[in-house]
Amino acid sequence: MNSLHTRLPRPHIGLRPPPSALLIPAYTLLFLLIVGPVLVVVTLSLFDYDPLLGAAGFVGMDNFARVLPSDDFRTALVNTAVYMLLTVPVTLTASLLVALGIHSVRFGAALWRSVYFLPVAATLAAMAVAWRWLFYADSGLIDATIGQVLGLRDWLHSTTLALPAVSVVGTWENMGFAIVMFLAGLSAVPPHVMEAARLDGAGPWNRFWHVTWPALGPATVFTLIICTRNALKVFDQVQVMTKGGPINSSTTLSYLLWERGIRFLDIGGGSVITLMLLALILGVTVIQLSAVGRRWERAGTR
Amino acid sequence: MTARTVTRETLTHLALALGGVIILAPFAIMVWTAFVPERLIFTGAGPGDLTLENFRIALREWDWLSAYRTSVVVAVITFVAQLVTCLPAGYVLARHRFRGHGVATWVMLGCLIVPGQVIAIPTYVVISRVGQLDTILALVWPSLTSAFGIFLFRQFILTLPQSIFDAARLDRVSEFGMVWRVVLPNVKPAITAFGIFSVVSSWNDLFWASVVLQSPDNATVPFAVTRFTDPEAGIQYGAQMAAASLAVLPLIIAFLVAQRQFIRGINLSATD
Repeated sequence: MNSLHTRLPRPHIGLRPPPSALLIPAYTLLFLLIVGPVLVVVTLSLFDYDPLLGAAGFVGMDNFARVLPSDDFRTALVNTAVYMLLTVPVTLTASLLVALGIHSVRFGAALWRSVYFLPVAATLAAMAVAWRWLFYADSGLIDATIGQVLGLRDWLHSTTLALPAVSVVGTWENMGFAIVMFLAGLSAVPPHVMEAARLDGAGPWNRFWHVTWPALGPATVFTLIICTRNALKVFDQVQVMTKGGPINSSTTLSYLLWERGIRFLDIGGGSVITLMLLALILGVTVIQLSAVGRRWERAGTR
Repeated sequence: MTARTVTRETLTHLALALGGVIILAPFAIMVWTAFVPERLIFTGAGPGDLTLENFRIALREWDWLSAYRTSVVVAVITFVAQLVTCLPAGYVLARHRFRGHGVATWVMLGCLIVPGQVIAIPTYVVISRVGQLDTILALVWPSLTSAFGIFLFRQFILTLPQSIFDAARLDRVSEFGMVWRVVLPNVKPAITAFGIFSVVSSWNDLFWASVVLQSPDNATVPFAVTRFTDPEAGIQYGAQMAAASLAVLPLIIAFLVAQRQFIRGINLSATD
């Protein structure tokens, strides 16, 4: 601490705590709340632990051998991936289109932005209750409208449609956030570059592709990462609308880890699912950053 | 404006309105159904049939006042604890170089990536061992500090001019005083943004409440809504919609009142 002390101009006589002491409250808590538990979850995955008795027995890789090949886990893993594929591309594409629309209008932009942002402010657990009512068989809004057109009914009790139903809700919820991100990106497009492109005779498509899209790079990467992360940890609407059913058809990793680990108190098994979820989130984030991050960030500064 | 741009503007508004109807439909139907008497819920009702009966049922069947109180207490404790811990940490990371600076930054970024689900089981084990399930402490515990908060404040404090810190240093302001008297008044936009982020996150959280709550005694609003609408509870859809409307109302009102701060909050936290 003294080496720090001498580096900074200190007119006072006597010992003062170094500035890094101000980190202590936050970092003590980070270790207690996050770093510690992550290490504990690794340990728990190697034990057969009974939380009611507090008794633990070392079982090595047994929990992994039990959980990883199980149908429950595989279904949840596939469902989580499918949920991500159903929500992320649609959210990003639709949000970009809406943001371009809002950005282009001369008046009413603030109003539209608020309309599309409203679901972000609304409590998802409560809105999922409303959505369950919309998906109610036959008399609900979904069956009465698109259900008639597409010939689909009773999504929440169908093994093929339950996961798409919770994906619809996830997309609806995340769009507001993505739109605001894209709008921020669009307002950062330098107007003189856009004007120069116009004077050079670039059409709307060329202006989008060569000016707007590259400038949106950082916003797109950021939105992609956040939306993917939200998708990989989806829980609320699954718990409210389907409880993972019917027959596990909408069980996601988050839901499974809660059901196994907390409700059924299978601490070892739940810890294995936790580690898989963490690995998935870390892996996908790293892949996204290395695949698109660099390129788009560079493009953004062009 | 030329005729062509007028047409384009109109078409854009039409398209946005079409999407807007889809976005707003769940809200509209939720609120409408909340006022429709149960006997007409599947057949359809006109404006003359509307009633407050569903709200009466919802308020009779669940102690919503207690749920609101718990949610407010949790949101306030969470935000204050996060502000008090994150602001000094963000300041030191932004304005001081010391041994371990790089490690501290990486620890923060690492914690930023770990979602709440990952700490659920070990934290649950500890909380249940010390007999604290179903308490306010259990609800706020994992959010007493925030890696995101540290990151946000660090980013914001990096943009402040060095001169204000130099001036304070010449006035022999201590490091603690620096946070309190120099940083705090200069980061108000960041505090507003982070406050909105923090309150919205804790108010809306269902996952953590589902982990540490077992009885309805300390139910937060989202937890109360899900328990209330559990099919096993046998409560009718009209009353469910009334309950959901009551749950959504506070943040919607807050959003409508402070739209710009809300959106800037989400914005700032991302574009840093």
